[in-house]
Amino acid sequence: MKNSVKKYSIIISIAICIIIIYVCTLLGVASISFWDANKILLDQLFHIDLGMENISAGAVAIIWNVRLPRIILAFITGGVLAICGAAYQGIFKNPMADPYILGVSSGAALGATIGIVMNFSSSLFGMNGTAILAFVGSFASILVVYNISRVGRKVPVATLLLSGIAIGQTISAIMYLLMIFNQEEMTQIMFWIMGSLNGKGWGQVLTVLPYVLVGGVIMLTSVRELDIMLLGEETATQLGVDTERLKKKILITSSLLTAAVVSVTGIIGFVGLVVPHIVRLVTGPKHRVLIPFSLLFGGAFLILCDTLARTVAGQEIPVGIITAAFGGPFFVYLLRKRKQGGA
Amino acid sequence: MERLMPRIMLDFKDVVSGYGEKDILQGFNATICQGEFVGLIGPNGTGKSTLLKCLSGLLPVKSGVITLEEKDNTSYTQRERAQMIAVVPQSFDIDYDFTVEDIVLMGRNPYLSYRTKESQNDYTIVTEAMRATKTLQFRKRLYNNLSGGEKQRVIIARAIAQEPDIILLDEPTSALDIHHQIEVMELIRNLNLKKSMTVVAVLHDINLAARYCNRLILMKDGRVVVDGTPKDVITEANLKKVYEMKMFIQENKLFGKPEIIPLRVIKESEDYRSLRIHVICGSNKASQVLEELEAMGHQVTAGVVNQGSDDWTICDVLGIPMIEESPFTAISSEKQAENLAVMAESDVILISDLPFGHGNIANLIGLEKLTGEIYFHRNCLNNDFTEGQLKKRLAAIKKQKKVNEIDDHQEFIEIIKALTLIEEKSIDSN
Repeated sequence: MKNSVKKYSIIISIAICIIIIYVCTLLGVASISFWDANKILLDQLFHIDLGMENISAGAVAIIWNVRLPRIILAFITGGVLAICGAAYQGIFKNPMADPYILGVSSGAALGATIGIVMNFSSSLFGMNGTAILAFVGSFASILVVYNISRVGRKVPVATLLLSGIAIGQTISAIMYLLMIFNQEEMTQIMFWIMGSLNGKGWGQVLTVLPYVLVGGVIMLTSVRELDIMLLGEETATQLGVDTERLKKKILITSSLLTAAVVSVTGIIGFVGLVVPHIVRLVTGPKHRVLIPFSLLFGGAFLILCDTLARTVAGQEIPVGIITAAFGGPFFVYLLRKRKQGGA
Repeated sequence: MERLMPRIMLDFKDVVSGYGEKDILQGFNATICQGEFVGLIGPNGTGKSTLLKCLSGLLPVKSGVITLEEKDNTSYTQRERAQMIAVVPQSFDIDYDFTVEDIVLMGRNPYLSYRTKESQNDYTIVTEAMRATKTLQFRKRLYNNLSGGEKQRVIIARAIAQEPDIILLDEPTSALDIHHQIEVMELIRNLNLKKSMTVVAVLHDINLAARYCNRLILMKDGRVVVDGTPKDVITEANLKKVYEMKMFIQENKLFGKPEIIPLRVIKESEDYRSLRIHVICGSNKASQVLEELEAMGHQVTAGVVNQGSDDWTICDVLGIPMIEESPFTAISSEKQAENLAVMAESDVILISDLPFGHGNIANLIGLEKLTGEIYFHRNCLNNDFTEGQLKKRLAAIKKQKKVNEIDDHQEFIEIIKALTLIEEKSIDSN
């Protein structure tokens, strides 16, 4: 009975996500009629031609090459941030953990800043120079943080979190210094930092997809050990979990996933922090359920935020602002709830 | 013949370990065989929990060797070790909403790889473990909503689900009330007896340890002080050495095990001027007054007491000098003289609540000639089996000396306190 409910709920959730993707593809600033948009989708997806002759090539491009890849990228990005947040909250046993906690975002921002300042425009594997530098920056910062915290074979969680903050602040300082000396690129850098899915196409989707598939599978193989990790590192060790190996595995996977996504979209905050909490309230703490539902809910949440970002005002708003606008108040709610619970 | 030899599960050889530079264990040696129920006792900070941490792989050994089932403990992976050793901690809280069944199922982790899901067999083992610990009826409830005793049973169920050969317990009862303490200990004893599981438990409650363990290891400063049966280990000499306090030990008749009554640690002797006080006793009512006087720092003597009486036992434990007579023997004239000689040196003589008969009335001979103050418990007159001799003796004493009469021992203690209390030095005087 309970298992079948679980199975149905995942199928229903997937269906809802598909509907959201579909509906949001139809919404946008460019005036393309409901029927035309459907015709384009059917033609492109299933090669069913219901009369494409009076639809302009521009409309096809907007639906197929602008909106749909952007929405799918939003789904992937939101999903990745959410599962990384869930996994980090698990191994750090810290509800405030998010995918950026170990300085990934600062590293990426510094990389991107360097890329923008140096006008680095060559591209590799569908990523432009800025994205590549952002990726390198975020992964380098994780490596520095990890090696600072390492004591022999062990990586104490508290040290890891503190050195993440320290390195993050240091890197940010360098980034701000670069911004001061390159004021004409400041706006561009600011927009990058606030995160946006504007102008992203199939290329970017294909760039991040392999990371997501491989990373997601690795996460799913660790669900039981992540559950046990919530009981504390000592207990986990006594229940046969190689905690150091698990930490390393999750750290590497999450930082690669986050770095891949952030380098393409910029820093989109709060999704990775808030979504796992909301999902946990419904599904409970077991990662076998938490991770898949975080992926779906995080993805859907970012699609909706991004749709607002591109439709609500005359001008495109960075999606990071929208997610923060929702995430901030929710975070306050969580804090107050914890206070009342006496925890 | 070989089958009769107990299998060695654990062997510690000169184990040294600790945190950072500080060594807590300083050369621990012991061998533990299958089916033993071993209690580790000793004061805080002597390395009992450290030992369990070394054993369960949380803490590396600096030198020495721990052998676990014939192989060096360091040669096992965490997973292999978790199949052999399960740990039950002191108390266990989690911030997340896991059900009881989720928690117990985690005990199966050492047998599962990341590819396999829990099988029907795993669920059977988990159900069995919950049944054995009487937690089956709330398996769907949230762990966090359980009481302390229920939580501890769930953790024991998890340990059972691990199907270990050895179960380690780190003060499993210290957070529990007396009902749940006994429940948990009985549960563990059942595992020990029925499944011949080897149990190593750190216990603070020496009486609980003596009652359930068939072997005790008394530790101090990271080493073994004594290792043996509860009767061998729980002795006044051993415990005094380790805990640096006096303990009163008697045999618990119900369980045939030694039982301790810890006496006080903080002496009041600094607050009082010391007097020489002699207590005439020998029955069973003077224990408390003797102990309190001793704790106040007075030079207490007692007499004449028959060996084996309760008052004799307490004097023996506290090291109070006394004039002794053989059990059930009337006071001989030599002992009477000896007693009188001691009383002649005393500042205060207490005739404690004591039945008088022909055998012990000699205690009161010659008191009228003493210089010390005499206090007399009125209740003696209610237990007078001397056919009038007690009243006669008392009258004779009263003729020459003042006899202060009291109604209970506490009244006497108060008088002595008032007499000997050292006034606190005034702070204002400087």
